[in-house]
Amino acid sequence: MNYWNRQTRILGRVYLSALLLIGVASPAAADKVTLDPGSWGKEEGKACIDCHRKSSAGLVTQWEQSAHATAKVNCFDCHQADPADDDAIEHEGSVIATIVSPKDCGRCHDTEFRQNEGSVHAASLSHIAQQMPVLGENLGGSAAIATGCAGCHGSRVEVRGDGTLSPDSWPNTGIGRINPDGSKGSCSACHGRHGFSKAQAREPSACTRCHSGPDSPDRAIYAASKHGMMFEAYRDQMNMEADQWVAGKDYSAAPTCVTCHMGAVPGLKSTHDVGLRNAWNLNTPVSEKQYLIIFEDGDKRDLPESQPLPKRGSELEKSDGSMGKVKTVVSPKRRRQVMNKVCLECHGKGFANSFLGRFDSLVKLYNLKFGEPASAIMQALYEKKILTPAPFDEPIEFTYRELWHDAGTRARHGAAMASPNDTSWEGMNRVGQIFYSRFLPQVREVAGAAEAKALIEQHVTSQEAHGWLIQPERAEPVPDHGMEKSDHD
Amino acid sequence: MIRSLLPSFITRHVLFALIIGGLGGMGFILFLMEFDHFTSTEAFCTSCHSMEIVAEPYRASAHYLPDSGVRADCGDCHVSEGIFAATWDHILGTKDLLAQIFGPDYDDPVINALHLPEAAFAARDWFRKTDSATCRRCHLQESIIGTRPDTRQIHLEDAKGKTCIQCHYNLVHRKVPDEKTFKREKWNRMIEQEFDLEPGTAARLLEQ
Repeated sequence: MNYWNRQTRILGRVYLSALLLIGVASPAAADKVTLDPGSWGKEEGKACIDCHRKSSAGLVTQWEQSAHATAKVNCFDCHQADPADDDAIEHEGSVIATIVSPKDCGRCHDTEFRQNEGSVHAASLSHIAQQMPVLGENLGGSAAIATGCAGCHGSRVEVRGDGTLSPDSWPNTGIGRINPDGSKGSCSACHGRHGFSKAQAREPSACTRCHSGPDSPDRAIYAASKHGMMFEAYRDQMNMEADQWVAGKDYSAAPTCVTCHMGAVPGLKSTHDVGLRNAWNLNTPVSEKQYLIIFEDGDKRDLPESQPLPKRGSELEKSDGSMGKVKTVVSPKRRRQVMNKVCLECHGKGFANSFLGRFDSLVKLYNLKFGEPASAIMQALYEKKILTPAPFDEPIEFTYRELWHDAGTRARHGAAMASPNDTSWEGMNRVGQIFYSRFLPQVREVAGAAEAKALIEQHVTSQEAHGWLIQPERAEPVPDHGMEKSDHD
Repeated sequence: MIRSLLPSFITRHVLFALIIGGLGGMGFILFLMEFDHFTSTEAFCTSCHSMEIVAEPYRASAHYLPDSGVRADCGDCHVSEGIFAATWDHILGTKDLLAQIFGPDYDDPVINALHLPEAAFAARDWFRKTDSATCRRCHLQESIIGTRPDTRQIHLEDAKGKTCIQCHYNLVHRKVPDEKTFKREKWNRMIEQEFDLEPGTAARLLEQ
């Protein structure tokens, strides 16, 4: 009895502190703007409308139908600039900036600005900075970066000496855009301008514009999941236009991406920090559970579980390479508890735990059986100088990437969001195919028979899960494959 | 006979002087007309190499190669209409000539680019002061129809009381920001990068 009481107390404490920490880190999103209404509706902005209603009527119509127009927030309120601003321009007598950065939006929407500023979304350009020279430049080129990578990850907007925005970096609404004022992100990545509709940003399409394709195949996964199925069937019951959008209270038909990753449920506030509830990193060759580090200045980063855990007040490298002082460390377990709280709004505890447990098992299976062996073999090939240090100058490097990035990511995301097809046929089945039919033969090809045998024995066939590979006599033939003939022959 | 018709103070000498003076005056006016005309041409302006640099973007602009074939020459925009005003503008223009001869080496593309913003600000000032009179030689605000549906409406309603240059700048020559938002440091960096110069070179060149 005592034991159980103690357990319950501990669990309760963990749970409470998790909620408290998340609460501190991310006050409620969609907060009402608390500024004095005199802070907007500037006189100078009224003249913009007259002209732009004629010259760019579509834009003005979008604004007219927006909550901004209802609240009398006009063009100048958002586009105003200080002449000293890097991207300030003179326009019809006013000093304005073309780009309305998150910092500008944050003049009124401070909570959302601060939550997003430290999120993985805002850091999505710095996250790929190291990959850009190879994946962007070598395999593509600068035109492909501007139109491809930067479209989602964002560009570093360059203001030229003549005051114009470099066409390589603008237009751009990538979510990790680095703005001329130094702020990170782009609110219009999800909230399409100039309507900035909540309902539109709650649509899965606001996310899947970028979260699709091998890097993050969530469009297909969500569509093939039960959640996506229910959303399609009952989208008219989603109450998308509602001012407050708490799952289980304001809508119950289905969850969208926003519901689980950002949304509010009773007892859990919504957040504009989209990665907050992610206990795993699913986009690496080997998945790791991850801590969330919150720095003194509000910036955040994920830290893989294998890394030494920093103490409060210690210095740690941020995602952009600079150093920051650690304020709070949130464990993967706590992050999972927060996500679980969303599940519990519609599912029973046992249901949610079993589902999430199966997801964890799939990730561990992928890691152990394919991710870790493939990664260790690649590491050895580089160390033994069998491969050049240059990535992607040998076929096996493409095979390895296809294994963990294309198929492996799909399998893991599929398991996280309940798409059986993406977990299996498009995911693990392809991981297996690539691993056995291309990766291992290419290891033999580049390393030579003896070296390859040693590597494969050490990392692959020593595992029981791969044991079948070296015991062909124990094979269980599949109809239409190999020896066994199908019945109708 | 003729003599008896003229007042007595108009002697033969006075008459000759009047005829010569009159002819001379006519000749002078004709000379000024020709002079103003000649000194307003692209060929004359670009006889200084520094102006050749300025003319390069002009030759790619709609004022040089419009669909209609109506080309605006340098003077059409930068010299006022009317013989006296045109002459006055040319007299004022001699200070540019003096600067070309005795001032910095504007023929050097780097020096030229570094000094361009101030030249642009001065030119815009001139357009503002003259109520964009030279634009209005060809463009009549009430007759602007444009290619977009509401261009006419904007020019009749929103642009009422405004002068052309307030909205239409950076049309012909190299882009220069408005004076209010111009940042010298950034301009210098851009020119240094463009000409592969060491950082700080621009500031040093401007001091000279």
